[in-house]
Amino acid sequence: MKLSLGSLYRPSRFPLLLKSYPISRSRRSFCVSSLSSPETSLKPQIPLFLRPPIYSTTLSDLRKWHDWAESLASSVGSTFEKSDNGPDSSLLCRELKWLLEDAVEDHTLVSQMGVENDRRVRMRAHVDELYNLWKQRIQERRPFQYVVGCEHWRDLVLSVQEGVLIPRPETERIVDFVSDVVSKDQELKRGVWADLGTGSGALGIGISRILGSEGRVIATDLSRVAIAVASYNVHRYGLKDIIEIREGSWFEPLKGLEGKLAGLVSNPPYIPSKDISGLQAEVGRHEPRVALDGGVDGMDALLHLCDGAALMLKPGGFFAFETNGEQHCRALVDYMENNKSGSFCNFEIIPDFAGIERFVTGFHGKAI
Amino acid sequence: MGCSQEGEVEAKKEEKIKLGREKASIASYCAAAVSEEHDSLAPSFARVPLGMVFATQIRFWGSQAAPEQSTSDGLTVDGILASNWTILDENEGDWKSHATAVAQSIHLIKRRLQWRKLIVRLNMLSAELNKPDLWDDPVHAGKISREHGSLQGKMKEVNALEQELLEHIDMIKLAREENDEDLESESVKALLNMRRNSKEKELEALLAGEQDLYSCYIEVQAGAGGTESMDWAAMVMQMYKSWAQRRGYKVTVVEEMPGEIAGIKRATIKVDGDYAFGYAKAEVGVHRLVRISPFDSNKRRHTSFAAVAVTPILGDASAHVQINESDLRIERFRSGGPGGQHANTTESAVRIVHIPTGITATCQNERSQHQNKASAMAVLQSRLDQLEMARQAHLNAQHTQSLTDITWGSQIRSYVLHPYRMVKDLRTNYEVSDPDSVLEGDLDGFILSYLSACLDKDEDGA
Ligand SMILES: C[S@@+](CC[C@H](N)C(=O)[O-])C[C@H]1O[C@@H](n2cnc3c(N)ncnc32)[C@H](O)[C@@H]1O
Repeated sequence: MKLSLGSLYRPSRFPLLLKSYPISRSRRSFCVSSLSSPETSLKPQIPLFLRPPIYSTTLSDLRKWHDWAESLASSVGSTFEKSDNGPDSSLLCRELKWLLEDAVEDHTLVSQMGVENDRRVRMRAHVDELYNLWKQRIQERRPFQYVVGCEHWRDLVLSVQEGVLIPRPETERIVDFVSDVVSKDQELKRGVWADLGTGSGALGIGISRILGSEGRVIATDLSRVAIAVASYNVHRYGLKDIIEIREGSWFEPLKGLEGKLAGLVSNPPYIPSKDISGLQAEVGRHEPRVALDGGVDGMDALLHLCDGAALMLKPGGFFAFETNGEQHCRALVDYMENNKSGSFCNFEIIPDFAGIERFVTGFHGKAI
Repeated sequence: MGCSQEGEVEAKKEEKIKLGREKASIASYCAAAVSEEHDSLAPSFARVPLGMVFATQIRFWGSQAAPEQSTSDGLTVDGILASNWTILDENEGDWKSHATAVAQSIHLIKRRLQWRKLIVRLNMLSAELNKPDLWDDPVHAGKISREHGSLQGKMKEVNALEQELLEHIDMIKLAREENDEDLESESVKALLNMRRNSKEKELEALLAGEQDLYSCYIEVQAGAGGTESMDWAAMVMQMYKSWAQRRGYKVTVVEEMPGEIAGIKRATIKVDGDYAFGYAKAEVGVHRLVRISPFDSNKRRHTSFAAVAVTPILGDASAHVQINESDLRIERFRSGGPGGQHANTTESAVRIVHIPTGITATCQNERSQHQNKASAMAVLQSRLDQLEMARQAHLNAQHTQSLTDITWGSQIRSYVLHPYRMVKDLRTNYEVSDPDSVLEGDLDGFILSYLSACLDKDEDGA
C-alpha cells in the first residue's frame, strides 16, 4: 500500500520537469541540443585544464614564453589598478603561474624550466596559443577565467566562457547560508530548491552538493550560453539526478510549483544601468550585460524575485538574494515588510568578507 | 670417537640455544603480559570487580624494568662498553668492533630517551593505572594509558636490542669454541646488520617527542632593515623549501607577503610528511646574515635578520582546541571598491582573526575564497593548538615559540658571506664553510647536531 502510493506520487513530483527536461534525453552530448534547432545549438567550450595534452614543447621554449609573459605582466605595474581597480602586476604574475598549471600536463616539470633545457613537456595548448592568450589577457583585459575557461569557486572548478558570468567569491557565502538552514531543518533538505539566473550553475551545483541525493534543485536562466555551460558543469559533477536546468525568464519555468519551493536563491543582475559604462574593463568589456544590468536603480530583478518568492515558497521556505550593497539590502527588506506584509519573516542582512552588506535572507511566514 | 665428540658438541650447542631462548622468552613473556594487560585494561575494568583488577594489576605493573641482561659468561652491554675495544671499519668483520658500535648506539639511544627518567615516569604511570578510580575520568585515563603504552614500547624496543646483541655474542663464542665457521660468520653478519640498523635507531630516538611525528607549518618573517632583510627572509624560506623537498616532504605555500622591491615580508609554508615537525623545530629562532648587500649602491656590508617559527599540525583531532564561529572575524585580504558583480578578480585571500586571542591567519595561495578560508582555518587551528600547548606545558621545554614570542635577540645561527664565508650555529657551534650548500637546503647537519646536543647534554639521563 505504502509502496504503491510512493510510486504513484513520484511522477507527479515534478509535473513541469518531465515535460521540459531536455538534458536527460540527450545523453551523449550535454549541450542542450534538444532545446534549440540544430544550427543554433551551443557546444560548451572545454576548459584548458581538461583538454587533452596533445601538444608538446621544450622546457626552454616554455621558459622563453614565461619570461616574455612575465615582463608583459610587470610592465602593467599599477596602471590598471589606478584606472579602474583592475589587477596589478603581482596579481597578473600569479595568474600566469595558474595559466601554466592549467596548460602543462606534468606541473612538477615547471620548476625545471631552465634556460638550456631541451626536455619536452606535454601541453594542453600550443605555445603559440599561450602567446595569444596572454596578449588577450593583458592587452584586451580579457578576464583570466575566460582565458583558462574555468573559475575555482568553493571546492568546485566550474567551466566558464564568454556569454556567462564568472561566479564571484562573494556569492560562495549563499551556499553556506543554505548549509546552515538545512542542517537545522531536515524537511527543507528534502524539498525542492530553485536557483534563478544560474549562469554557470554555481549556486545550483553548490546547493545540490549540500542537499545530497535526497534534494532537488531547479536552476533557470534566460541565456542560452548559460544553459549550455550550466548543463556541462552539472554533468561534470555527476549531479544530473539532482539538478535540472531549465531555460526561461525567472519564475516562468517553475509553473506548477507555486507554494511548493523549500528554498529560493538568486544572484540576479543588480548593477544600476548608469554604472555599466564605468565598470572595470574585464567586467564591462567582456561579461554579458544581461547578467549585470539591473535597470535604473539596479533593483528590477530583485523586486521581481521578491514578488515571486511570496508566491512560490512554501510556508517556512527560505530565500537568499545577493544585492549591490547596503542600499539594496535596506530597500529590499523595506519592500518586503511594507508591500508583502506578513508573508516573510526573520529577515537578515549579511555582509560579505569585505564588510559590505551584501545579502538578504529570510523565511516565508507560516501563514500566507 | 668422532661420533661421541660430535654428539657432545651438539648437545652443548642445543643447551646454549635453549638457554638463550628461555631467557628471551621470559623477557618477552613479561613484556607481553604487561602490554596485553594494558591493552585490555579499559574494557575489562567495567566487567571485573574492582578489588580483583587491582590485585592482578599490581602483579603486572610491578615489574617494569627488566633485570640487566647478560651473555652466558656474564658479559653485559655496559661490560662491552667498559672493555674499550677499538671500533674498526665495518668491513673489517671484527665482531668485537661491531658489538662495541652497537653497544655505543644502545647507550646513546638510552641517553636520548632519557632512560632513567623514562623508567621513573613509567613506574609513575603504572601506579596511576593501578588506581581503581582511574576510569572515572576517561579522558585522563586515555591519556595516561596512551603515554604508558608509548613509553613501554620504547623500553621494550631497547631491551630487545640489548638481548639481540648479547645473543649474537653468545653464538659467536660458542661457534669459536666449536670451530663452527658457518655459525660464526652467520652471527658476525647478523651483528654487522645490527650495527648498520642502529644508526637509524639513534636518529629515531632523537625524534621521540610527542609531536615530532607530525607535519608542520614553517613561517619566516623579515626583520627590520627593508629590502635587504626581506631578501634575506626570501632566501631563508627558499632554503626550507629546498630542504623539505630533498627530504621528500610535500611543500605548499600557504601565505606570502612580498616585499615592495624584492623578497618577502613574511611567508608560511606547509611541510607534509613524517617527522617534519621533529626536524624543523630545530630551526626556530633568529637567523642572521652578513653580506655586501646587492641593494646597496655603495656596496657596504649589511647585517640582516629573519625570524623562523615552526608549528606542528596535530594529527589527533581530539587534541584540537575548540573554535567558536562567533569568535572569528573573517576579512577579505585586499578589498576596496563595490565588489560583487562590479569586480573581476583572481585575488580571493582571506584573513581570519580569532577575536579573543587576537591570533590571525591568512591564506592567499588557493584559487577560490572558500579554499583560502579553509586553509587559513587550518593554520589558525594549529596556532591556537600551539598556544594551548604552551599554556599547558610551559614547563615542558619541547614546545616551540610562536613568531610573536621570538625576540630578535634569540639568534640561533649566523650566515656570513663576507668578508669570509661560513655558517655557524650559535647553539652548538656546528659550522660549515660553504654557505651556498646550506642555503640550497643542506641543513641536516645543523638540525641533527642541534637535536643531539639538546638531548645528549643531559648526561645523567642514562
Ligand atoms: C549576476 S548573474 C549570476 C549568475 C550565477 N548565479 C552566479 O552567481 O554566478 C545573473 C544571471 O541572471 C541571468 N538572467 C538575466 N535576466 C534573466 C531573466 N529574465 N530570467 C532568468 N535569468 C536571467 C543572466 O543570464 C545571468 O546568468
